[in-house]
Amino acid sequence: MENSNQKNVIGIEAFGVKIGIFCDDLELNKKICKLLPVLIPKNFSFSENAEHEHIFTLKKIENSDEIFVARNEEDETGFTSEDSLLDYLGSRIRVTVAEFAKSKVFIHAGAVAWNDVGIIIPGKSYSGKTTLVSELIKLGAEYYSDEYAVLDENGFLHPYPKMLSMRGIINDWDQVDTEPEKFGAAIGSKKIPVGMVLITKYVENGKWRPKILMPGEGILEVLQHTIPIRSNPDFVLNVLKKAFTRAIIASSKRGAAHKFAPFLLEYLQTALK
Amino acid sequence: MKMPLNPVARKNELVIQEMQDEILVFDVKSNKAHCLNQTASAVWKYCDGTNSVLEIKRLLEVQTGSNISEDLVWFAIDQLNDRKLLETEFENKFAGQSRRDVLKKIGLAAVVALPIVASITAPSAAMAAACSGTVTSCLGCAAGTPCDANGNGIIGMCMAGGLCVGD
Repeated sequence: MENSNQKNVIGIEAFGVKIGIFCDDLELNKKICKLLPVLIPKNFSFSENAEHEHIFTLKKIENSDEIFVARNEEDETGFTSEDSLLDYLGSRIRVTVAEFAKSKVFIHAGAVAWNDVGIIIPGKSYSGKTTLVSELIKLGAEYYSDEYAVLDENGFLHPYPKMLSMRGIINDWDQVDTEPEKFGAAIGSKKIPVGMVLITKYVENGKWRPKILMPGEGILEVLQHTIPIRSNPDFVLNVLKKAFTRAIIASSKRGAAHKFAPFLLEYLQTALK
Repeated sequence: MKMPLNPVARKNELVIQEMQDEILVFDVKSNKAHCLNQTASAVWKYCDGTNSVLEIKRLLEVQTGSNISEDLVWFAIDQLNDRKLLETEFENKFAGQSRRDVLKKIGLAAVVALPIVASITAPSAAMAAACSGTVTSCLGCAAGTPCDANGNGIIGMCMAGGLCVGD
């Protein structure tokens, strides 16, 4: 769409998606540059001459504290707090990368590896993904992601080791980015097949009574968390078919993560024998 | 009842992924995804315009080696029709009857699995990544995260302090 060889433009490329961020405020530009590698933990680079496919524009309003952000000149949203603005911008950039990544399918999910197979835990924020992921890595599972399970064209899971967004540190809702190593985690480094897709939600005193789903049923469940389903349905269905036909797809409510995690790993070990 | 033609499976503007015993269908026009179980898949495949409902019933009987009621085929046709997966619109055979009564009627006689078409509306990218916040609670999500303000797909935004503020 545009070339980044201009003043006050930050050009980036992540997973083959070329993004330009236009901002006249140099101080804010510096903060954005510092934030970007944290936002996108893999396949990220600054790119000076990229042809931008997506453009974020930040406009400061004269005689006002308000800053407006728009993507591709649409959905303009105003902020008076710089922290909220950066949170919002980060979230929009991540979703843009997840939607348009080349040859990858991004699923909103937690992901770990156990005995060389991936466990994917799809779900919305606050469905308990991060808590369960942190409990699993305490038990020795390798950390892949607490935000997106990233699958390649052959259905293999790739690491996307964003910092864990933990709640309950400051209060019940604000998230604090925590390094996975703090939980003793090893970070996944290779692509692995998906061994289990876990469709679950925390329910107080919830009992694990798994229903094993057919691959198609499982895919239908997971599509609700699959970012590029509308923009690239053919590729998404093809990838999910490859990933899910060789995985156990289990659906059940569950109880507290610290009690459930060891049980889950034992269940997976038995099921994969 | 309007039954002008033999049923024909729709193919336009659909992405179709055949699984071993199921078919996944994504309707690019409505952004709906459907999963047809084994029986519904078989009925849909036989909807090629050359087979009447009675003929589909017979083909299913040959395929499964079991007796199948015509109502079971109609139950599949009704669901495919409701989801706009047929070229020609059919009136609902079981109109006016409760789903429970229909299931009871077919289920008692059925040897093969009941045909089921499960469906969802595929979310937009922002919704798929959204926080499950409500108007009063956007727990667990960073400020600025898109959220579902009223649980009806309207994109709002999580604000500091756990509020999901919608449009």
